[in-house]
Amino acid sequence: MELAEPFEMTQPAISRHLKVLEQAGLIARRIDGTRRPCRLARDGIDQIDKWLSQLRKALSANYDRLDAILAASAEQIDKRTAKRSPKRKGKR
Amino acid sequence: MTKLTLKTEGDRYVVVTRRFAASPAQVYRAHIDPEIIKKWMLGPDGWTMPVCINDARPGGKIRYEWTNGQGGGFYLTGEFIRLEPPHRIVHVERMHLPDPTPDNHVETTFEKDGTGTLMTMRMTLPDPATREAMLKSGMEHGMEAGYLRLERMAKEGDF
Repeated sequence: MELAEPFEMTQPAISRHLKVLEQAGLIARRIDGTRRPCRLARDGIDQIDKWLSQLRKALSANYDRLDAILAASAEQIDKRTAKRSPKRKGKR
Repeated sequence: MTKLTLKTEGDRYVVVTRRFAASPAQVYRAHIDPEIIKKWMLGPDGWTMPVCINDARPGGKIRYEWTNGQGGGFYLTGEFIRLEPPHRIVHVERMHLPDPTPDNHVETTFEKDGTGTLMTMRMTLPDPATREAMLKSGMEHGMEAGYLRLERMAKEGDF
């Protein structure tokens, strides 16, 4: 109820959002009479943080390697073009 | 130029962007040519990809196997859905850790951006159990330690 107050949303809509957050492991709820107090689930938030940072590291490493490959490939194309151009001139 | 951005989009997707100093055609090719993929899609240092199968046509199979040379390894399988060279690749993939993770639906686009390419990759955010399995596997395999060596690839990179 208290969580719904600041939002322009109905109580059932808020409940649905909280249910999603709970299933995602981002909040934990308990029963206290008619109240359902929520707290942030530190473990769940830490875990998604860790996962995203591991993904970022792996992807950064991949794309930095790819940069080097693309640069080396561009250099080779430049060399090939440089080699070819005198021949072309000769044919003309 | 080379900065990677990684953002969550709603609670369903992760969106990654990265710029490359090469044409969309070159960056696209680097994503479907097994000989090129093997050289960069390796995650942290110390890993290799001895098996790289990539049948780049709709319905075509993907299979990547990684090893750290010390008994650690895992593999990924997938299928291509759509290919629109050189601008768009849509595929699904799953990791085998060794249990398969739920399908990750991935859309990768390559747009001309000045003299380079802006790549945008949108993938499915895995559910908490899958993230847990991936983290656990990553730590077992020493993925936490990853830091990169550009120089080596710069010397070897020929395609």
